[in-house]
Amino acid sequence: MADEPPSILPDPLTKELRDRLCGVVGDAWVIVDADRLLAYESDGLTAYRRTPRAVVLPKSTDEVSHVLSILSQEGIPVVPRGAGTGLSGGALADGDAVVVGTARMTSMLSLDPDNRLARVQPGMINANLTKAAEPFGLYYAPDPSSQSACTLGGNVAENSGGPHCLKYGVTTRYVTGLTVVTYDGEIVELGGFGRERGGYDLLGVFVGSEGCFGIATEIEVRLLPKPEGVRTLLAIFDRLEDAGTAVTEIMAEGLLPAALEIIDGPTIRAVEASVFAAGYPTDAEAALVVEFDGIEAGLAGDVERAVAQCSRAGAREVRTADSAEERLALWSGRKKAFGAMGQIANDLMVQDGTVPRSKLTEVLGRISEIGARYDLTIANVFHAGDGNLHPNLLFDRSNEDEVARVNRASKEIMAVCVEAGGTITGEHGVGLDKRRYMSLVHGPDELDAMRRIKWVFDPLGRMNPGKVLPDGPDDGKEAP
Amino acid sequence: MKNKSDTALAAALWAQEDRLAPCVHCGFCLPACPTYVRLGDENDSPRGRLHLMRAVVEGRLAPDSQAFQTHIDRCLGCRACEPVCPSSVAYGVLLEAARESVFRARKTPFAARTLLAVFSSGVLTRWSMLLARIVRGLGFAGFAARSLPRGRTFHPVRFGLAMLEASRGRLRLEQSSDSGAAGASDYRAAGSAAPSGSVAAPSHGETPWKDGSRGRVAMLRGCVQAGLFARVNDASERVLRANGYQVVEVRGQGCCGALHTHAGDAVRARELARANVRALAAADVDFVAVNAAGCGAALKEYGHLLEADEECGEAAAALADSTRDISELIAGEAGRVGAPLPARVTYDAACHLCHAQGLREEPLMLLEAIPELVVLPLRDAEECCGGAGIYGITHAELGGEIGADKISAVVETGAEIVATGNPGCMMQIGAGLILDESDVITCHPVELLDESYRRAGFYDGR
Repeated sequence: MADEPPSILPDPLTKELRDRLCGVVGDAWVIVDADRLLAYESDGLTAYRRTPRAVVLPKSTDEVSHVLSILSQEGIPVVPRGAGTGLSGGALADGDAVVVGTARMTSMLSLDPDNRLARVQPGMINANLTKAAEPFGLYYAPDPSSQSACTLGGNVAENSGGPHCLKYGVTTRYVTGLTVVTYDGEIVELGGFGRERGGYDLLGVFVGSEGCFGIATEIEVRLLPKPEGVRTLLAIFDRLEDAGTAVTEIMAEGLLPAALEIIDGPTIRAVEASVFAAGYPTDAEAALVVEFDGIEAGLAGDVERAVAQCSRAGAREVRTADSAEERLALWSGRKKAFGAMGQIANDLMVQDGTVPRSKLTEVLGRISEIGARYDLTIANVFHAGDGNLHPNLLFDRSNEDEVARVNRASKEIMAVCVEAGGTITGEHGVGLDKRRYMSLVHGPDELDAMRRIKWVFDPLGRMNPGKVLPDGPDDGKEAP
Repeated sequence: MKNKSDTALAAALWAQEDRLAPCVHCGFCLPACPTYVRLGDENDSPRGRLHLMRAVVEGRLAPDSQAFQTHIDRCLGCRACEPVCPSSVAYGVLLEAARESVFRARKTPFAARTLLAVFSSGVLTRWSMLLARIVRGLGFAGFAARSLPRGRTFHPVRFGLAMLEASRGRLRLEQSSDSGAAGASDYRAAGSAAPSGSVAAPSHGETPWKDGSRGRVAMLRGCVQAGLFARVNDASERVLRANGYQVVEVRGQGCCGALHTHAGDAVRARELARANVRALAAADVDFVAVNAAGCGAALKEYGHLLEADEECGEAAAALADSTRDISELIAGEAGRVGAPLPARVTYDAACHLCHAQGLREEPLMLLEAIPELVVLPLRDAEECCGGAGIYGITHAELGGEIGADKISAVVETGAEIVATGNPGCMMQIGAGLILDESDVITCHPVELLDESYRRAGFYDGR
């Protein structure tokens, strides 16, 4: 964890091997100098630092295939990496692994408005796909909060969600085909437009495999027509529990908002201190963002019913965004919340757990109690509509005692989520950080079944080793 | 790895440790960075560079290491990462500290050293600018630039000559020569002498504009700006007066030191800053007007640059507070409206205006207020043009690629004029256009406003 000593530098690649990799991708795209590897020792979860043995940045499916084939001949494991915005340490190279990054694979391969399909390289940034589809009245639905920076390859690996997955579902619902390179350089086609059905859903198995099965080098996704109308409203609460109640009531009312997001008091204050200030009142204890989209005619009624539920739950104020700019500002505050935590603390551990919606209020109360017990500030920002919690545990890495408390509190929060009938991750993935919690939710048989599925794609265990599946029953002891 | 020499070298970065800490590694800055977007190496991203800086502070990376120098050097300093940072990491300040470490750690390349030395001396600056004007005046710079063979050997000379040629005020030249080429706008064809038909009556004719009631203003005349862009300074002064400001001449001012700060030569930068603080503070003005984005950003950061200076620190902060870009003083409802200027212009946002000073709307408002001037949107207007001081010369390949993207975006708009608020950008974009044999003219937004005022007769009878 955060207090672990910087990892021991792995053996550099032999000159012969380096030359072969340079021959494939070009000298500038093989990074072996120990100093230059530092930038790759963390992803979005800085609590961990692992120095890779090398970083290789290919440009095409063929180059990825050649690189993986060469590495496989030498028995060297591979860790795929997109923009390194992940929050579970999934893009860190453990041991003697080489990072294969997709940062140069950013092209749009084809855009087919008639069939509402796009085929992209995995390094394309999520938001850029929507930008490219916009002139055709289309957009790409999954919108992780990091969408301005995260890559579609990373989204496929993590099966990413986002605020709007409440109504629209997560990444797997939109991926129609993949070109995948397996550990030994073999190029495999999974699915493809019109060929998604028939036989077992291998495509579905691959999406969300966290880079443990192979590297997706081409991604084909479904696009959606932009909804005719959008209404966003913001309800301000003096108590976090009341916002949770409002969420339950809105859903019980039979409404299906496109998004239902809660930002708690500490988070409001961090966001408002940042350049993305959205105008949330800083003395409030919760802000609830509710969004409806669809056919214009139905929206006014939905908004009215949601406003009524918010007021009944005790909202002191309900605002509706009147212009597109106001709507963007409301969302910007929510979407940059994680990054804005630097305004109030130097380090943070963002947790990711899911609980049944009906248990939201209860679980939030218990998290707050855990925070108090360990004397930690916990800022909550979460996808309330689908019960996906993101408690941000704030700390300072130079305070060893605090780091230890963060670790213990994290574990307790995970246990609380599982106990409430939820699970240890909603959308950030298991990666390196959460595999110690895997046994809280999965029994030995289930884990064994997962191992056997991985074996089909990666029989020698070369892809993203040390992630997702615990090595054995003692695995939880690895981290404090 | 941490040893005594490293400790001394890293001192500037250590002093900024608190400013490094808020980076939570979210990665939102990656797509905003022109070098990362083109190279894909995280060492060439803001987050990566901050991580290298942190490694230096932690004693895990030597400040004189090749990796640190290369990746800090390769940063354009455009600061596009700052407005997208949710944690408000002060990247610009940190970059300066990193550059100071690099500057101390190695021998600065000859060309850069010469340049820094020239601009630290008022006399040398004046002489070199005179020489540059003579070469420019001979009129062969553009021709020579276009004639020199392409390729690495001649690139610096070729590009340098093109930059010099680009600094010429082509706006007026083209206008009076009446090239008459197909597609040339009414603007060019309108001729130089009082275009009777197109003059609109000044919309605020009755207002006593020239009374100086809007405040006393000192103009930062600058080094390159005074040497090669005197016409922009003159235009700024006329436009300020026409808008009710009293412009006072302040002697003893010089180069703002931005070049030195960006190169890591903090010692000289502070010397220059102190001289300016002394000169401008004594002038007792309400505002210091700057028409070069880089210099404006530098002046606005004097408070930080001289924060440890007991003698000048306070005056520096006050000077920083009173500094305004010319567009801030002119744009908006109080701005005077001139005569129509039927032309198509596109606006490139200089990094040190939009990212460093946060001025996005003002220059556009200034242009949009000119009647009949069509302002065409520029794709990626807020992305760096690759100018970044002498980046186009020191990093020919990458700078060239970034520059080429800007040129094609400009040409794409179909505009006849590209306006940008910084001399470096005017020369970088102008040079690219000249080498591409494009007819598009480069100018400062204020030059267009000045022309509009001239046609309106605001300067008549002065």
